[in-house]
Amino acid sequence: MTARSALRLQPGDNVATALRDLAAGEVVELDGLRIRVGEPVPLCHKLALADLAPGDAVLKYGQPIGVVTAAVAAGGHVHVHNMQSARGRGIAHEPQVLSPR
Amino acid sequence: MMHPFRGYRRASGRPGVRNLTLVLSVTGLTTPAARRIGATLRHVTALGTSFGSGMLGRDREVHRAALVGMARHPNVGGVVVIGADPPVVEAVGAAAEAAGKEVAAISLDDCGHDVLTLQDRAIRAAADIVHRLSRQQREEFPASDLLLGLECGRSDPSSGLVANPLVGALVDRLVDAGGTAVFGETTEWIGAEVPLEAKAADPNVAAELRAAAARREAMAVAGGIDLTWNNPSTTNIRAGLSSIEEKSLGAIAKAGSRPIQGVVPYGEAPPGPGVWAMDAPAYAPESLTGFTCAGCSMALFTTGVGNSYVSALMPTIKLTANPATAGRVTQQIDLDASAVFAGRETLEAATERLGAHLLEVASGALTWGEILGEGDEVISRMGAVL
Repeated sequence: MTARSALRLQPGDNVATALRDLAAGEVVELDGLRIRVGEPVPLCHKLALADLAPGDAVLKYGQPIGVVTAAVAAGGHVHVHNMQSARGRGIAHEPQVLSPR
Repeated sequence: MMHPFRGYRRASGRPGVRNLTLVLSVTGLTTPAARRIGATLRHVTALGTSFGSGMLGRDREVHRAALVGMARHPNVGGVVVIGADPPVVEAVGAAAEAAGKEVAAISLDDCGHDVLTLQDRAIRAAADIVHRLSRQQREEFPASDLLLGLECGRSDPSSGLVANPLVGALVDRLVDAGGTAVFGETTEWIGAEVPLEAKAADPNVAAELRAAAARREAMAVAGGIDLTWNNPSTTNIRAGLSSIEEKSLGAIAKAGSRPIQGVVPYGEAPPGPGVWAMDAPAYAPESLTGFTCAGCSMALFTTGVGNSYVSALMPTIKLTANPATAGRVTQQIDLDASAVFAGRETLEAATERLGAHLLEVASGALTWGEILGEGDEVISRMGAVL
């Protein structure tokens, strides 16, 4: 088995999971795609495999895991800053930002 | 095909994988005494509730049934029940006795309301039970006698990618051998309804799974919280999980691929073999206790960034696939699956390792959580209280 840098779980998924820290500028090859990483994507975080527009469903495990809230290009980092959950949103929420630890 | 394990024969019910002497405080007033007894004697597991009178309806029923579930647990050979109120103490003691446990039941009323008298009597009773139980030898039992609780805590995307599918692969083997497993954490079914329903044994089970997830989602909304930043928590989000949907889709992989037989209420035993869902809160302490009270003899607990908590009555095997976590919390992780994450080990090979470890722990090998004493039991509360 060769060490992979990212993993797409289902053929239709538009994000892959980083299997190590990915650096801006490197090229990730998976499932016949060549994705140029546009910004750092930490271990276990999600890498966009296509250009995503606000309102698009983010697909992982072959299922929607949330909705895109800000455009992200293929190779970008997909997380709470540009997507959000569609479930259990009890209050009109202010976007929260993760402070550096 | 799974090898047998060496456990303790019980007068009724499943064999134990431990032969514990339990000191169980069934009212909040006597729980500090239980802690002192636990600190005084060796080979004793001391547990207690913080609550007592004033409970109502289903909350009261669940609480009482959970205390009985602990006293009758397969891993408990004998129990000293202590409490303030004789009826509760006697009822829990009688239920344990009916299950064939060695029992002493002592209430504050029997001791002139002097807690030191109660403590002294309980210590002597517990010491006698430890002495007798220590003579019992382990015997061979088939793996199909195991009932496993499946938990995840402080997850990250490596949980959904590797650790949970690994547990699921072992659950498939256990179920194929005739065994039983229960997963809970209903909040972590939200967003995973489609694959869960696809695994339901029949349309009624599918409808129950969907309804239970909808009830939890409605609780979050009615409670005025934003589920994001609660579940997934800040820790989950920092680790890369962006939404409850993403977390749930990873979490349900623990249940494997065999049909889900039904949904059981909190703390209740599954009525047959196979994979079962427990409609229960997600937080590890109360979730694990739901499995304990259902009679699960062991738990498999996956973590992403690390989670030290374990059950006091079920040996809890902690596993991670995150290479950084496996390297950092070496005295927490019982099974390191990071080689699968790195592509250096197949899931099948890791399943083989996990299965062997499960049977080794079932036969007496200690988990890190047991060695460190991280175990507790916390009964979930539900509804109004007086």
